[in-house]
Amino acid sequence: MLDSIDGVIDSLEQERYLPERALGVSIYLALQLGKPLFLEGEAGVGKTEVAKVLASLLGTELIRLQCYEGLDVNHAVYEWDYPKQMLAIRLIEASDEHVDADDIMSRDYLVARPLLQAVEASAKGKRPVLLIDELDRADEEFEAYLLELLSDFQVTIPEIGTIRAEEPPVVVLTSNRTREIHDALKRRCIYHWIDYPDFEREVAIVQRKVPEVPETLAADLAHAMEQLRTMDLFKPPGVAETLDWAAALVVLGTERLDPEVVEDTLGVILKYQEDIERLRATGTEQLLVPAI
Amino acid sequence: MADAFTHNMVHFTRLLRAQGLRGTPETTVALIEAAEAVGLADRDDAYHAFRAVVIGRPNEVPVFDQAFELFFGSGRRWEPMEPLELKVHPHQRMHIIAPTSVAAGAGGEEGEEVELDEQLGASASTRLSLRDFTDLSTEEYAQVQRLIARMVWQPADTRSRRWRPSRSGSRPDLRRTLRQMTGPAGEMMPLAMSAPKPRRRPLLVLADVSGSMERYTEMLLYFIHAARGRLGKVEAFVFSTHLHRITRELAHRDPKVALSRVGDAVHDWSSGTLIGEALGDFNRNWSRRVVRGGPVALVISDGWDRGDPDVLRVEMAAFARTVHRVVWLNPLAGRAGFAPETRGMRAAMPYVDDFLPVGTLSDLAAVVRLLETVPRKRSPRPRPEPATPEPADSP
Repeated sequence: MLDSIDGVIDSLEQERYLPERALGVSIYLALQLGKPLFLEGEAGVGKTEVAKVLASLLGTELIRLQCYEGLDVNHAVYEWDYPKQMLAIRLIEASDEHVDADDIMSRDYLVARPLLQAVEASAKGKRPVLLIDELDRADEEFEAYLLELLSDFQVTIPEIGTIRAEEPPVVVLTSNRTREIHDALKRRCIYHWIDYPDFEREVAIVQRKVPEVPETLAADLAHAMEQLRTMDLFKPPGVAETLDWAAALVVLGTERLDPEVVEDTLGVILKYQEDIERLRATGTEQLLVPAI
Repeated sequence: MADAFTHNMVHFTRLLRAQGLRGTPETTVALIEAAEAVGLADRDDAYHAFRAVVIGRPNEVPVFDQAFELFFGSGRRWEPMEPLELKVHPHQRMHIIAPTSVAAGAGGEEGEEVELDEQLGASASTRLSLRDFTDLSTEEYAQVQRLIARMVWQPADTRSRRWRPSRSGSRPDLRRTLRQMTGPAGEMMPLAMSAPKPRRRPLLVLADVSGSMERYTEMLLYFIHAARGRLGKVEAFVFSTHLHRITRELAHRDPKVALSRVGDAVHDWSSGTLIGEALGDFNRNWSRRVVRGGPVALVISDGWDRGDPDVLRVEMAAFARTVHRVVWLNPLAGRAGFAPETRGMRAAMPYVDDFLPVGTLSDLAAVVRLLETVPRKRSPRPRPEPATPEPADSP
């Protein structure tokens, strides 16, 4: 099923994800070579979705690590279970014995966070999907740690020892490119820039994801999005916004886009006041398919 | 067959390297692995596979395409070929910046011992430090550049979101506490505490390189280069009618090389200024990528602006909201009788936290000192005022 490029693309499509061919090739490569897949692109083009779909295709667990500034070992890798340790210390002391480090520093007292979970869950023939989401939000210290983890998929805990993955998990890293990720990390990955879909693909995505939308409306939406993305906006809408918009219009029972509907639903697609004003200043008509 | 193919990939890697892309032995291995995984029957698939292991950012795609086409295009597929000589990065670089002073860097004897007091030093340099950059002789100009390179930068810290062990900290460190509790039983163990780790506040520089700034541009770029060398975390842009990011160009250690790279990368030196448009470009296309961790922003410009002051006002307001502090540096501000009354300056002033001159070496030293005392709290931002028509400037 996933042993050819076409197989990968077909499977993704069955999961209602429509990739461009280049993305299909990248995913196939990542799976075949056991390398992490590094996906960059504007917000809302479906980066995170790739990991979710992959997990469902492989029939494995999706382990997700959301990055943020200051993300540290306690939250990314492991943490000790302090209440349990305290309890153990009390019990030992009640019997007038000495507390050794070994008594409270074993695997039983460890809480696995996503990275350790992924390492532990990787057994022969069962590779979980590890999603490291929005890596650009983490700081350089975390990136350096990740570099180490991605090269040998092992976690060393001083009190316990080294825990190693039997097989490397399927790793998907995403970045919105709010900053450049270090080349050393990218070099270890299969890199793919997810662009906005072209008109036909966007129509197809809308129809696949929101089947209630009539074909004419799907085309209207894709056309409007194309126009919006050429405008000099602070935050051009992504595919996620297209789908939100489609869902909103279905609820409103809209058949075709017109200036009034666009005006009423602007808040679904544009999230900055400056952008909304800019569009109003140039007129919402330009989003519509010109009548012939 | 494998040998010829490996050979090919080595050549392809070399070509990539010549083009300025990733091209190490590791790349060759990755290319071969990719080819084995995808096969070579379909040219497009091979292209996508090679691309995925070579590039690391979207703007490398056109360069990669060119290399791929050169190597695999027009029926010459898989045949060994001689390494190509490409003229992608011409070694001969233009000296666009302030031609009068380019030669200055070469002169100047080594070992001139200038005692440093505070930032810069007394005696010989005191005289120099108060002279406007435009009044310096070639030799003095080079001396000032050397003094800039020797400045000591100690910008104020801010808190990071990481924690470090600290006795006086405010947050219990349970991992260390529990660790300490093992051992002799029955003793009261104090809580181990932690406090936020300090980190250096990044610096963001936007420098005007339009015609009216021409005589200051080189020295100011020199100053920015020195800042980058000392601080590391510096994002730098120059603008006149357009905005250019020069962070990568400035990364070279040698200021002469770095400045000549900047010279190559920027094409609208010494033209007019559209400060508002340049800031708008920054706000929309760069702000989210390069503004992290509350930078102090240095805007270096004399405020002569050909653009619409209303645009400048709006963009300045948005800009000021995204950074920790706006420091406006104006080379003319040190002159007797100066008042910030150009149209552009008037539009920008409400959003400026500090307004300083940068015409002399001692002015630059004052900027460095200012950065040492940047407060941790932001100053309040005014709301954008309603637009009012203003008379045009005449430079």
